[in-house]
Amino acid sequence: MLKKIFILFFRDLKVNTRDFLSLYIMVVPIVFAIIINLLTPGINDTTINIALIDGQDDEMVEYLEDFAKVSVYKDIEALEERVSQRDEVFGFVPDGDGYYIMQQGNEPEGLIEYARLMMTFYQEDVQIEDSTAVLHSFERTVPPLKKLLVNIFIMFTAIMGGMLIAINIIEEKSDRTIRSIHLTPVSRNGYLIGKSLIGAILPLYGAVLIIWITGFKDINWLHLMLLVIASSIITVLVGFIEGINNETVMDAAGSVKMLFLPLAGAIAIAELLGDKWQWVAYWVPFYWTYKGIDDVLTYNSELGTTLLYTLFVIIISVIVYLLLMPKIKKGLE
Amino acid sequence: MKLWYSFLKELKLSSKSFYFYVEVVMAAIIILVLLVFIPEQITIIQKEYINLDMPDNVKASFIDTILEEELDGKAEEVELEYGDTVIMADLYEVDDSEIYIIENREDMIGLTKVDRPMIGAYLTFDESKGEILYEYYLQGYESDRLKNLYRIIHNEDLTEMAAIAETVEVKALNSGYNTLNSREIALPSLLTFNGSLMGMFIIAAYIFLDKQEGIIMAYAVTASKVWEYLMSKVLVMTSVTLITTLAITLAVRGTKANYLMLVVLLITSSFFGSSLGLWISSFYDNMTKAFAAIYTAVMLFMLPAIAYFIPGWEPFWMKFIPTYYTIQGFKEIIIGNGDMNFVALASLGFLVAGTLFFFASNYRFKKTLTT
Repeated sequence: MLKKIFILFFRDLKVNTRDFLSLYIMVVPIVFAIIINLLTPGINDTTINIALIDGQDDEMVEYLEDFAKVSVYKDIEALEERVSQRDEVFGFVPDGDGYYIMQQGNEPEGLIEYARLMMTFYQEDVQIEDSTAVLHSFERTVPPLKKLLVNIFIMFTAIMGGMLIAINIIEEKSDRTIRSIHLTPVSRNGYLIGKSLIGAILPLYGAVLIIWITGFKDINWLHLMLLVIASSIITVLVGFIEGINNETVMDAAGSVKMLFLPLAGAIAIAELLGDKWQWVAYWVPFYWTYKGIDDVLTYNSELGTTLLYTLFVIIISVIVYLLLMPKIKKGLE
Repeated sequence: MKLWYSFLKELKLSSKSFYFYVEVVMAAIIILVLLVFIPEQITIIQKEYINLDMPDNVKASFIDTILEEELDGKAEEVELEYGDTVIMADLYEVDDSEIYIIENREDMIGLTKVDRPMIGAYLTFDESKGEILYEYYLQGYESDRLKNLYRIIHNEDLTEMAAIAETVEVKALNSGYNTLNSREIALPSLLTFNGSLMGMFIIAAYIFLDKQEGIIMAYAVTASKVWEYLMSKVLVMTSVTLITTLAITLAVRGTKANYLMLVVLLITSSFFGSSLGLWISSFYDNMTKAFAAIYTAVMLFMLPAIAYFIPGWEPFWMKFIPTYYTIQGFKEIIIGNGDMNFVALASLGFLVAGTLFFFASNYRFKKTLTT
């Protein structure tokens, strides 16, 4: 039985190597990882932008540079032109003895308060040298946004595995090879597992490569593997169902599109909403994977919690499987 | 005329397909999620872990200040854990923060290390000066500018500083901007994803489907030209996007959006997305092969959507990714009285780039489609 499953898997691997897989292996995870690495240097500096008139007040330029991104313009017209551009830049414009803040008009309230506070600190001569605050650091260098991107890309490679299965099955259907399987000694379950292996292994491979290139090398690899494998189960399952129930690649692509919504929603809920709203995403398996991988990437993962998250994903997958089993069986006939 | 008939035929065919229903259901789900599950005003909650090591009277007055802004007017006792340690803390929910007052300094440090809150601080009281001293526990990845802000923010009485800051005059170059609620803010990236991004996938699948079923071969013996065939596909994608996007925008933003410009941007950006999808497909002979390339393009195009939700982070190279213009354009349109010059320029850009990709695809398909 096991041998037959592997025969199916290696056949898929061979077929895919001819076209898709080689491109996938060479390019996709590496491209993702490089993009993340390119992004990282600029990721952390989320401060405000202030524009000033050149030569007006050099002391102010020097002062503000400690707290904000400062740029200078030759005259008020150039400054106004800069402020009116689409991004969020505040102009500090001399007005009698003092200054006023020039804004475009659509900046968020929080940023305006920040700009006002900067102006006040300067005018009240609040200096860093007079500070009594003490700063301690845990010496972490990986910014949270890098972790977020790596996590998102890992989840997307999992979905990609599902899509690959769907496309593979549809192509088998159109080549009429799926019916021939019934004539071979491979059982239905054996066929299911054999076809699924490729979709489960690719995400694992992609995740390892992305994490390796982006520099999270000292994470707990076992915990990561558990989570990625668990999340592949659900994408493989969905990919399978899409493949079996859809007659054309186009229909399958449309259906897989729907997978993105709970995925993006789960990430948004986990990242943006407070503790009391988290329950909204409990039914989404990607939510648990996302939380688990987040723990792994912050070096806080524990075996107990990881197993619990993995278990949640598996339970949800089993429920989905039980609900859709009749459809899968029908589709294979 | 032939193009028009081809388009009508394609539209009729696709309106019967499963794909069309997926699009309609997807639009319905987006409307449902936006209107039912996303609150009108989402405030991003920041956590603060604070340990107060000071005389009881100072501590009481510090807590009184927090209580003035507490939503329920009282603290809630909650359980927190880090590693194997479980502790009790007082939680104060104010406006956009959850402030946890933690009894023990070590616990505060442990929690700050594990949970990475916005602020982890140890506060003492200097009796000789009569002021509170702040020790912040930072993660290490904070920028120097933010660290400088932490250094000076408590140099003077912050309430006093905030009061002075309130008096600073702010003049807007354009005061008529409408404001968007959380649902409406989420709209531009959702529309971009639902429309132009997935359009690339779908059109590729569409072409390969026709190829597989021999429709293209049959097409070769008709009087129609390849570009008419391709254009009819592009028009179908554009029509579907137009219908679903208009429905979503109407449901969420009502009459406040600029619908004329929405239609302009939708047609041009969808034309661009579909033409790009066609162009990429032209290099491959089946969907499996084209899949990785399109997927990579979609991932790249999603970056502006992530940046859109992170205020203050907008690296200059983001502007080289076309979806940056779709997302920002949708934002201006949804605001209603936004910068329509920007939308017009972006649309023009999409039209030009879309035309180039369309001609390139036409050139390539002429050679490969019927083989």
